Amino acid sequence: MSISIHTSISAAVYENENQRLRDERRKALLGVRGLRKHHGDRLLFDIERIEIATHGAYVLTGVNGAGKSTLLRVLGGLERAEIDSLRFACEDVLRVHPYPRRLREAIVYVHQHPILFSTSVAHNIGYGLQLRRLPKEEIARTVADAMAWAGVAHLEGHNPATLSGGEKQRVALARAKVLQPKLLLLDEPTSNLDGAAREQVIELIPTLVEAGSSVVIACHDRDLINLAGVQRMKLRDGHLELR
Amino acid sequence: MIDATLHAFALLFTGNADLWHVIWVSLKTSVSGLLLAAPPAVLLGYLIAMNRFRGRRIVIWLAQAALSLPTVLIGLLLYLLLSRRGPLGELQWLFSQPGIVFGQCVVALPVLLAFTLAAVQALDPRYAETAVALGASRRQVMLRVLYEGRFGVMAAVLSGFGRVISEVGCALMVGGNIEGQTRTITTAIALETSKGEFAQGIALGIVLVTLALLMNGALMLLQGDAHAARERG
Repeated sequence: MSISIHTSISAAVYENENQRLRDERRKALLGVRGLRKHHGDRLLFDIERIEIATHGAYVLTGVNGAGKSTLLRVLGGLERAEIDSLRFACEDVLRVHPYPRRLREAIVYVHQHPILFSTSVAHNIGYGLQLRRLPKEEIARTVADAMAWAGVAHLEGHNPATLSGGEKQRVALARAKVLQPKLLLLDEPTSNLDGAAREQVIELIPTLVEAGSSVVIACHDRDLINLAGVQRMKLRDGHLELR
Repeated sequence: MIDATLHAFALLFTGNADLWHVIWVSLKTSVSGLLLAAPPAVLLGYLIAMNRFRGRRIVIWLAQAALSLPTVLIGLLLYLLLSRRGPLGELQWLFSQPGIVFGQCVVALPVLLAFTLAAVQALDPRYAETAVALGASRRQVMLRVLYEGRFGVMAAVLSGFGRVISEVGCALMVGGNIEGQTRTITTAIALETSKGEFAQGIALGIVLVTLALLMNGALMLLQGDAHAARERG
């Protein structure tokens, strides 16, 4: 009798654990196993596993040269690396090179010093939507909403070359946000900003998660690292530590 | 000299039909050759600038070396190609305007390619990366990069025009300097000077100098605009 109870409890625990793993797997937006990047003969990083949850917010820290930007660029499909396996939105991605269209449309990388095209602020924000051939009215509406969100509505027709660093960063965030990416990779978004410009950018980041994106931010900024609900990852000696 | 120059201005402003026909043939063949050369040259320049492949440095070296290739040598090669017994003899382009257009196209190609390559290489790589990150296809990335490097590409086109309008070797060898048909500004200057008819040579020279001034003025404006854009950025 006692053996039977013990067996059924073990089975229940086993089943619960399995369910938990299944749930976790279902919630994981991006799962990467065995990610290695070499610069010439030098191994920059050798990461056993990365899991990015749906609607998760992460900061990626590490000393300069640790490979934070490179890791984001690899995840964003701008650089190649060796990857053993990659799973995105519950589906295995069999070929990572060339970077699959499905990932390209769902993952957006924003440079540390974003570059804006030499058109107008509004055109920059709507550029990705135009590429996706959305109706003009929808693009105009979405761009107007995004400009209001980023606090750059007054700059609509401006030449981007005349904007300040903070304004450029907010336009770049708006340009990424309108695409409703599942995963947003931000490379040191506050590194070249100070004062009010930096605070304005920091205030925008939690709203990106609220809007439905998972966000990974490479940074050194204490205020970003200490944002509520943000999980920390650290690249140290080529390995990724979860904190 | 002064008499010849005054006569040259008189020829220009009284609308001497022969003279203006020569100018028309020159402009027509140069612009046609340039228009034919520009799309493949700009595309190749872009592709070489943006891609890393085996032998890339050799390709760049050859493209840049082709810049200093004497046009008379290009003319000789095209003459051999287009002559009756040549591989392209059936086209019957030798000593015809299509032949000059073909020649100008070949002359312009390395200039356009090398200058486009340099313009795209000088451009911030984040333009292409940003377009890629926002979901642009290869063609869309190319259009975006060429738009951002438009001042450099336009400078390439203007330099190409400067090269073809002022070259004499290829136009002479392939065109044959036939009056009323294949006589261009440069071949006419060479001929008129050899005949001692300096007035017509000077008049055509004035046209060439004016074109050169206009080209360089446009280049300076473009460079000024590009510089101002960089300063603002």
